[in-house]
Amino acid sequence: MTGRKKRFNTVKWLRILVNVGGWVPLLILTIKYFTNNLGFDPIQSALLRTGRYAVLFLILSLTCTPIRKILKIYVVSVLRKPLGMFAALYAGLHFAIYAIWDFQLNFKLIWQAIIEFPFIILGAITLLILAILAATSFQKIQRKMGKKWDLLQRTVYIAAVLDIIHYLLAIKGDLLSLQGNYTWPLIAASALLILFILRIPWVIRTLKNLIFLRKETRQR
Amino acid sequence: MKKQEKYNSVPVKPDEITPKHIYQNRRTFLKQMGVVGLGALLASCAPGVTSTPSTSETLSDITPSGIGSELENQLTSKEAIKGYNNYYEFTTNKERVAELAQDFVTEPWSVNVDGLVENPGTYSTEDLLSNFEQEQRIYRMRCVEAWSMVIPWVGFPLHKLLEEVKPTSEAKYVMFESALVPEQMDGANSGMFPFPYTEGLRLDEAMHDLTILATGIYDEPLAPQNGAPIRLVVPWKYGFKSIKSIIKISLVVDEPPTLWNIVAPQEYGFYANVNPNVDHPRWSQATERRIGESGRIDTLFMNGYAEEVMPLYEGLDLTENF
Ligand code: HEM
Repeated sequence: MTGRKKRFNTVKWLRILVNVGGWVPLLILTIKYFTNNLGFDPIQSALLRTGRYAVLFLILSLTCTPIRKILKIYVVSVLRKPLGMFAALYAGLHFAIYAIWDFQLNFKLIWQAIIEFPFIILGAITLLILAILAATSFQKIQRKMGKKWDLLQRTVYIAAVLDIIHYLLAIKGDLLSLQGNYTWPLIAASALLILFILRIPWVIRTLKNLIFLRKETRQR
Repeated sequence: MKKQEKYNSVPVKPDEITPKHIYQNRRTFLKQMGVVGLGALLASCAPGVTSTPSTSETLSDITPSGIGSELENQLTSKEAIKGYNNYYEFTTNKERVAELAQDFVTEPWSVNVDGLVENPGTYSTEDLLSNFEQEQRIYRMRCVEAWSMVIPWVGFPLHKLLEEVKPTSEAKYVMFESALVPEQMDGANSGMFPFPYTEGLRLDEAMHDLTILATGIYDEPLAPQNGAPIRLVVPWKYGFKSIKSIIKISLVVDEPPTLWNIVAPQEYGFYANVNPNVDHPRWSQATERRIGESGRIDTLFMNGYAEEVMPLYEGLDLTENF
């Protein structure tokens, strides 16, 4: 009884943390905008910030499943959806800033950029995937779609890979020779790589054994 | 260029050349530097306007000739010019350069001019300020990242220095090198870029009257983040060609290696002329964000200096030689 109550509380607090925390970057961005604190090129600043937030939330949403499976902390699975929603929100804002604020809805130029530059195409595909996932994340739709929904959810991995490439390509320099300031996109790429590795069944099993065998021996 | 095209230069509007706020408080600095001519001067109407330093009050009366009124430019604020900089030896974060560069030691300073010249020499900042008449030039600055500013430089045409050192007939290119002082430059040790920063121009580009060595901005000497104490300004080329904090100028036979071309040759060419028709592989160069304004404006061919500089590129394929 007490265990269940405790679990309920944890879930509640985690939910609140994510659902409030997810708005904080947007709040900061808005305050900075209205107090003229976005620097000398506010458009670029807002564009880069929202892009990075989208990547951050996407990566966070992908950490839920490994944590649940390996550490057997089941409560985190309720966070996957809101984290994914925030990723979609910031990706949407990122594009809105690009299209509305930067390019003033000049559709000719925006369309040209999307079809012409691989860097932008990758962003657009990522955004499309995130938007579809967000739109189909409601339980009603989930139930209607059944198995297909699970398959659709998997495209989040594609989105994650594409957005990291988009991030790497946003840096001025040369990716192949790593000349340029690639620190943050490489950290993001490494995080994603680790998360992928943590999904290999064999890795999950080994890690689980390692962690829980130790716990058991300690308990004895 | 097969077709004979007519290019119009797009100069900065006359009433912007000497806005009150400039001439009212630039006196001290300009007086010290003995600044004379002003204006967004065109090759065809080079200054020729001189006055004695003691009559700096009359600076406001000087109306540079040959200035059209097509361009609705506003000068970029001093704060933005000094607060938004690309200077990767310090950091890749544009808004942190000023802070990290504030203790950069630019005194004493010397610029070596050598290579294929008859009179090689070493010039101190004072030499450069006193040997060459300082003038104001208001230029657009277009960064390859598609943002831009309008900057009132103080400086002198590079050709005046070159005429003094006398390039030999073999000299075909001019190579420039920036200072590299790792103890004072946080970003220089990261191994991210093959510093020292080097740049280059064809000799005829270097001799062009629009090409200047700048020593000041507005009414002040250059700040470290802007390339103190002396930097190149080539207004029709992307900003990265305008190398900062120069310690060496060499006249050479072959096209010199230039930093961004070494890093990513497919993205940054040797010429790097501002050209809205030739896109960067990752973004369009057709438009730009003018710092301090919102939205985008069209990028001008040769950054608006086509009339003056196109004779340099007759017969050259500008798409191939980007
Ligand atoms: C149609 C969709 C998109 C467009 C047009 C777009 C456009 C851009 C542009 C132009 C930049 C470079 C800004 C600059 O360097 O000045 C950028 C950077 C970036 N974008 Fe996107 N993007 C799109 C979608 C996305 C999505 C879906 C994500 C992530 C989920 C994303 C994440 C990023 C990140 C992380 C950066 C780099 C931020 C930095 O350098 O600090 N973008 N994007």
